[in-house]
Amino acid sequence: MENFRTKQPPVKTVSAITGIPVENRVLKNGISLFMINAGTEDVARIEFVFRAGMAMESVPLLAGITNMMLSEGTWNYTAEELNNTLDFYGIFQNLTTDRDSAGLNMLFLNKHIEKAMELAGEILFHPVFPEKELNLMMKKRLAGYRISREKVQNIASDCFFESVFGRNHPYGRPVEEKDFEAITPALLRDFHSAYYTPRNMAAIISGKIHENTPYLFEKYFGSFTDSSLPAGNSLKAINGQDAAKIHIEKPGSLQTAIRIGSATINKRHPDYPGLKILDTILGGYFGSRLMKNIREDKGYTYGIHSSVTSLDQSGYKVISTETGKQYCTLTIDEIYREIRILQKEHVKNDELEVVRNYMSGEMVRMFDGPFAIADSFKAVWEFGLDFSYFNRMMDTVKTIDPEEIMRLANLYYNIDDLHEITAG
Amino acid sequence: MIEFRKSILNNGLRVIVHEDRSTPLVAMNILYDAGSKDEDPDLTGLAHLLEHLMYGGSANIPDYDTPLLLAGGENNAFTNNDITNYYITIPSENIETAFWLESDRMLDPDFTREKTEIQKNVVIEEFRQRYLNQPYGDVMIILRSLAYTTHPYKWPTIGTDISHIGRITNENVRQFFNANYAPKKAILALTGNIDPSMTFDLADKWFGSIPGRNAGTRSLPQEPEQQKAREITVKRNVPSDALFKAWHIGPRTAGDFYTLDLLTDLLAGGESGRLHSRLVRDLNLFSEINAYITSDFDPGLAVISGKIMKGVDIETAENELIRVIEEFKDGAVSDTEMEKVRNRYETSTVLSNTNILHKAMTLCMYELLGNADMINTDAANYRNVTKQMVSESAIRYFRPENCSTLHYLSDKLDE
Repeated sequence: MENFRTKQPPVKTVSAITGIPVENRVLKNGISLFMINAGTEDVARIEFVFRAGMAMESVPLLAGITNMMLSEGTWNYTAEELNNTLDFYGIFQNLTTDRDSAGLNMLFLNKHIEKAMELAGEILFHPVFPEKELNLMMKKRLAGYRISREKVQNIASDCFFESVFGRNHPYGRPVEEKDFEAITPALLRDFHSAYYTPRNMAAIISGKIHENTPYLFEKYFGSFTDSSLPAGNSLKAINGQDAAKIHIEKPGSLQTAIRIGSATINKRHPDYPGLKILDTILGGYFGSRLMKNIREDKGYTYGIHSSVTSLDQSGYKVISTETGKQYCTLTIDEIYREIRILQKEHVKNDELEVVRNYMSGEMVRMFDGPFAIADSFKAVWEFGLDFSYFNRMMDTVKTIDPEEIMRLANLYYNIDDLHEITAG
Repeated sequence: MIEFRKSILNNGLRVIVHEDRSTPLVAMNILYDAGSKDEDPDLTGLAHLLEHLMYGGSANIPDYDTPLLLAGGENNAFTNNDITNYYITIPSENIETAFWLESDRMLDPDFTREKTEIQKNVVIEEFRQRYLNQPYGDVMIILRSLAYTTHPYKWPTIGTDISHIGRITNENVRQFFNANYAPKKAILALTGNIDPSMTFDLADKWFGSIPGRNAGTRSLPQEPEQQKAREITVKRNVPSDALFKAWHIGPRTAGDFYTLDLLTDLLAGGESGRLHSRLVRDLNLFSEINAYITSDFDPGLAVISGKIMKGVDIETAENELIRVIEEFKDGAVSDTEMEKVRNRYETSTVLSNTNILHKAMTLCMYELLGNADMINTDAANYRNVTKQMVSESAIRYFRPENCSTLHYLSDKLDE
C-alpha cells in the first residue's frame, strides 16, 4: 500500500480579503465615529484615538504621563471611585501612548455600554490631574524606568532610536531620570487641552453593535466642545542621522542585544508592500532566512526578527536579537551576509511561494473577528489610507517577482546606511 | 454555551470539535499530558527541550514549518509543569495539512543528534534571555525550590540549571517521548469554521492508525504539608527590593479553586483590588503588586508579589501586606466587592469565547481535568462563591506556617 503520509494534502492559496463594512458617522461636534459590526458574543470594544502621541510633546514623558493621568481623577470621580466603578462593571480599560497617537481602549459587555461611555467621557474630557496622584504616578513610573534600564533589549532599542532619529526629535529623544522631575500638573493640563479635543479624536467601535449605538455616542460625546486654543504645530523636523556603530557596555550581562536598521519609508509609499515582503523573507516569520540561519542552523539565539514600522513622519526597519556574548560578532556577520545575498541573488520560487502563502494567511488572520478588523482599520486610517491598502498588499504578495525583491534589497538595505547598536 | 462533540479513537486519542462559523479559520490544539513534573530531577528542562525538537521533522515529513506556511497556517507551542501544548490556526480550506503534520509527529518524530545539539543551544540562550539576564528573572526558580521540598513542581519548566540542559542526550529525548506522547495521553481539539463529522473522519484517517503505545503511568512524590514558615533572602543587581510570598493551596480540581481565584482577584485584580488601593495608592509602600494562583493540576500555590517603593523598609511593607490578608480572614469583604469580581470574571469569559484558539485550548485542558464540559459549567462555580467561603479559604491557606517568603533585595541600595 502506498504510504499516504508522504505527500502533503492539496493546498489552496487563500483568496483576497472581501470588503469589510466600516460605517462612518461624524458627530455634531466633529468627532469621527467608525463602526465595525461583527462577532458572535454580546461584547464590544471602543478605541478612542487622539493625535496626542510623543511626536506632539515639548518635553520627554509629557504625552505618556498626560495619557496615564487621565483616569487619576475627573470632575465627577476621584481616582478611587473611577477604578471601583470600572472594575465593578467589569469594564477593562487600557490607556496607551504611541509615537503619533494616544488614547483609551475599553472592552465591555454590551449591557454596560452606557456606563462605559459615561466613564470614557469623564476620563477623556474632564480629567483634573491632581498633584497627589501625579506624585505617586511619577514614583511608580520612575521605579519601572529603572527596571527597564537594566534590560539590554531596552538599552539597545533606546539607543537605536536616538541614533536613527536624533536626540532632538521626539521619535529619538531618550528619557533620562531628571525628566521625571520636570512634569507638573500645569504642563499636563496644557497638553490635554491642546490635543484631547473632539476635532482631534476618532472613536472606533467593534464587536456586536446595536442599533442605538450612534445615538449613544451623540448622547455621551456630542456635547463636548473644542477648547479655544488650537493645537500648536509642534512637529519638529527629523535630522537625518549618519549611520553609526555604537556599543553600550553593561557589566555582568550574559547576553548582548543587537539592533541593526535605519529610517525608511512608510505605508504611504508605493514601495512599502514590497518592502514588507522583503522584510518577511529576511526576518519577518518563523521560516525566515535569519531565523533559519542563526537560530535553527547555528543555535546562537532564542530568536531573531526583523520588522518594518510606519510612523507618521517617517518609518524604520530594524533587525533585533539577543545572543550569548560569545556569538555576538558571528551573529552580526551573518546578518550582513544574509542582506548581501538578498541584494545579489534572486529569491528562488519555492521560497517565494512559501512567503506568498504565509502572508496571505496572515492577512486572513488580520481580518478574523471584529477586534482584529478594527486593528487593521486603525492601522491604515491613521495614515489617511483605507482598506484598499490591504488589496494593494495582497496584489503585491501574489505578483511580486524576484527581480523586484532584489531591487528593493539594494535600494532599502544599503549596508553603509545601517545603524548597528549592541548592548551587553 | 459552547457546544461541542467528542469522540475517542481506537488508540485512545480523544477528539473534541466545536463549530464556530463566524471565522474563516480553524484552530487545532493538541495537548499532551506531559510536563516538566514528569522529568528526572537530574535532567530538568527535558519536556520543554522536546517541545523544541518536535519541530525538527518527522518520519514522512522532513520539514514541519514549510508545508504549514504553504498552507497559510501559523503555529506555536508551550510547555508548563503539567502539560505540553501545540497549536495551529489555519484557513479552513487547508485544515488537512494540519492533520497531516500533527499526526506524523505523534507517530514518529525524527530526533537526530545534530538537531538536538543545536536546539539545546537555542534553549540555553532562551534560559539566559528570559530567566538569567532579566531583572527578577530567576524569582520563580528560587521560590519554587523554597516552597516545594519533594514534588517536581520544585523546578521550573525551563530547567533547574543550564547544566541540566547541557547533559540531555538524544536517547533521553526519545525515552521521554515514548513514555509520554502516546495517543491516549493526548487530547485533540478543533474549533472554528469546520464540520464536526468531517473532522472526526479526518481525525480517524490521520490519527487513527497511530499505534496505541503503552505510556508509562505517573506516580509523583507528593509534597508533605508545610509545618513551618520558610524564608530566604537574596541580593541581586536590581534597582528595587521586591517581596514574594507563596502559600500552598489545593489542586486545580479542588472545590475551593474558584474561591481562591476570586480571592486573588479581590486582592489584586484591577486597580481597585485591596492590595493595590491600600499598599500602592494609600500607603505608597509598593510601586506595583500582584496576586495569583498557579492553577497547577497537583496542589499549587497562591502567590503575592510586589516591588517595594524606594526608601521603604521591606519589613514594614510586608507587615502591611499581612494586615490586608488578615482583614480577609475577618470577613471584611463587602457584597459590592464580591459582585465586582464576579462581573470581571464574566467579561473575561465572554471575551475568551470570541477566540477560537482560546476555546480549543480550554476544551483540551478541561477534558484532561476530567470533563470538557467544565467550559460551560465553570461559570456557575464562580457565581456560587460567597463571602464566607472567601474568609474560610483565607483562614485555611494564608497561614504563616504554610508560607514561603522570598526577600529579593537590591545590592545597589547598600551603596
